[in-house]
Amino acid sequence: MAETKLENNSSDQLADVAAGVTRRELLKTGGKIAAAAAVSSVFAPFFIHTARAAATKTLSFWQFYAPRGGVASQSKWFEDCVAGWNATHDVKVELQYVPNNDYMNGSKLQTAFASGHGPDIFIISPGDFLRYANGGVLTDLTPYMDEEAKKDFFPNVMRTREVEGKIYGLPMEVEPMGMFYSVKAFEEAGLSEKDVPKTWDELLELAHKLTKGNRFGCLFETTPGYYQTFTWYPFMWQGGGDIVAPDGKKSAFNSPGTVQALKFWQDSIKQNVASRNFLGGGVWDVVANLAAGYCAIQNVGIWGISALRENAKDFQYGVFPLPLPPGGQPSSDLGGWAFVANAKGPNPEEAAKFCVWALGSMQQDSIQRVVDWCIKAKSDVSPRKSALDKATAAGGYDSAAMKMFKDVIFPTGRGEPRLAPEVYKAVSDSIQASQLNGADPKQTAEQGAQLIDSFLAGYSGAPML
Amino acid sequence: MPVQKKHGLFWTRSRKEALAAWLFILPDTIGLLIFVAIPMVLALSLGFFSVDGFGGYKFIGLANYYRMFRDPLFLGSLWVTIVYVLCLVPGLYVSGLGLALLVRQRIPLIGVWRSLFFMPYVVSLVVIALVWKVLLIDKIGFVNRVLEMIGIPGQAWLGDPRFALAAVLVITIWFLMGYYMVIFLSGLQEIPREYYEAAQIDGAKSWTMFTRITLPLLRPTSFFVLLVSTVSAVSGSQAFDIIYVMTNGGPANSTSLAVFYIYEQAFKFNNYGYAAAMASFLVVILLVLTLIMFAATRGGRFHLT
Repeated sequence: MAETKLENNSSDQLADVAAGVTRRELLKTGGKIAAAAAVSSVFAPFFIHTARAAATKTLSFWQFYAPRGGVASQSKWFEDCVAGWNATHDVKVELQYVPNNDYMNGSKLQTAFASGHGPDIFIISPGDFLRYANGGVLTDLTPYMDEEAKKDFFPNVMRTREVEGKIYGLPMEVEPMGMFYSVKAFEEAGLSEKDVPKTWDELLELAHKLTKGNRFGCLFETTPGYYQTFTWYPFMWQGGGDIVAPDGKKSAFNSPGTVQALKFWQDSIKQNVASRNFLGGGVWDVVANLAAGYCAIQNVGIWGISALRENAKDFQYGVFPLPLPPGGQPSSDLGGWAFVANAKGPNPEEAAKFCVWALGSMQQDSIQRVVDWCIKAKSDVSPRKSALDKATAAGGYDSAAMKMFKDVIFPTGRGEPRLAPEVYKAVSDSIQASQLNGADPKQTAEQGAQLIDSFLAGYSGAPML
Repeated sequence: MPVQKKHGLFWTRSRKEALAAWLFILPDTIGLLIFVAIPMVLALSLGFFSVDGFGGYKFIGLANYYRMFRDPLFLGSLWVTIVYVLCLVPGLYVSGLGLALLVRQRIPLIGVWRSLFFMPYVVSLVVIALVWKVLLIDKIGFVNRVLEMIGIPGQAWLGDPRFALAAVLVITIWFLMGYYMVIFLSGLQEIPREYYEAAQIDGAKSWTMFTRITLPLLRPTSFFVLLVSTVSAVSGSQAFDIIYVMTNGGPANSTSLAVFYIYEQAFKFNNYGYAAAMASFLVVILLVLTLIMFAATRGGRFHLT
């Protein structure tokens, strides 16, 4: 025993000598390091933006088209895009996939920016534009673009990506909203394409005929939040309603256009022709709802075409524009995501160059990339005139559904609004209260307007459009 | 040599044991300090700042707290939380104790029954929420089909503000009751059988034995269950996942618990400071509730009462 102890002591001493420190010193130093780590962790959030290196050789690019996701060609498009850049540039781009729900509804992107580790390049929809624009993390892409390229983008698509004439995001797609219907459900009810409704009243009347057994006649979004407001706006616009007045200082929400749009969605629920729920991921999911027979008519965007093409090939469907209220004007909401560069990242210049190289240059490969995304990987309208012409020439809009979106719905569309989250929350609460809780639409519009006004009184960011 | 002697005197056995004890709990203490105590202090501090989520901090004093009490959505979410707590805590108590009494009986396959009741607790809450979401859907959901078979019209359980919170409550109770069953079971097994035998000899009925023996002797367990379930209900530790997946706070904010609204303010609206202030307020409510419970039971020392 004594020998063993002696041996252990000797080996400890040898180790200490070898390390050049005594045990006491080691403990003391360890304690200091632990204390420093604890203290620095307390103050870390206050110094986050000074910690990053001044330059980097790799740029991170966050998006939600994961490999082996719903549509393989979409993730491949991103991979090809990045591979094309990496083959010709010193500063490389590295793709990082964030699960769809975490990206859109979760906290991944927000916490990354809050901790000073936001991605160099990422994609955003107009719904999130103000959050990042007002946070000062979007790089002005204008200096990196040719005049010709700037004019190549449709103005109604760019409006919500610009602040004071500067471009902060380059859209990869335009996604107008429309109505999809099941041919089978129509035929079962003795209806045909000629019977597609042109007015709200006609839609409700038709929905009564189509509501049968386990199927609802129509389906609008019911989950509270940004997406629901996005799908509802065009019904309000059709009657001349709006969220914010043109000067951006007062709410325009309390208007007859708003009230009748709230009432229309409420009527669809009250009359039991629209569901309060949905199947699959949400009402954006046309395969899980329309193709599965849960509803006969569904309010979905153009992306429904590629979703059905990939996941319900044999399903017969048609598309028609959003029906109108009495005296209403045709309208649609032009959604879509855009590439943006992080102004507070280590290399915003290269990140901006990547965005422009990928989607906003007059080079043929840049235009072709937009074409490929809009008609091969997805089913979207192109945000660029040149790419739209090229995609049309390539037969990308030959199908009846794509043609309907490009020629009939898109020209009537308005860019997806960019609003502060507090404003769309007020709109969302008004929709929810009237649609699902039976509240008086007029009263909910008034309450929504008051909330928006009280927020606007203290708002000082980029204009809400 | 004198130094060695002094050293030997200082390091008595009890001091060495105390040092060993401190060293054993040191890693946990450091972990708690870094991951719990410091973030708590930071969160409390954030409540006095306007935080934009992009590194901008501005001291605004009590403005977040003033705003909180004038925010109808926060006050509404507090009301939803109160209803939720008042239904969940008794619901869990009754279901947990009921199940424990049931599976204490000598019935065939008792191990299987106990496992079945406990099983929901080992499944991910997100999975549970997704499954229930399909089960509860209008027209084609399993629940509505069963109800329609027995003549009760189906409902949009998650799409109607009248039913959505009740649906969330039932699912939460179903998820947690197995866990509380195990806790009650261990409490019941500590009650000596002799008491019941003596009562039986005296002619006591089951209900009398339950109210005169079981319930009084279960007081420490009941205290633990009520305390833990109240904390869990107010902090929404289970409800958050279920609500996030199933209703997103809707319909019409009917399932928007305070924790869910705090999450929305922080991560959807970028109002981290405001969210921190509301979270701090919730912690104060929890502290007060816990203190009341401890005061009412003299710190849970039931043998003194």
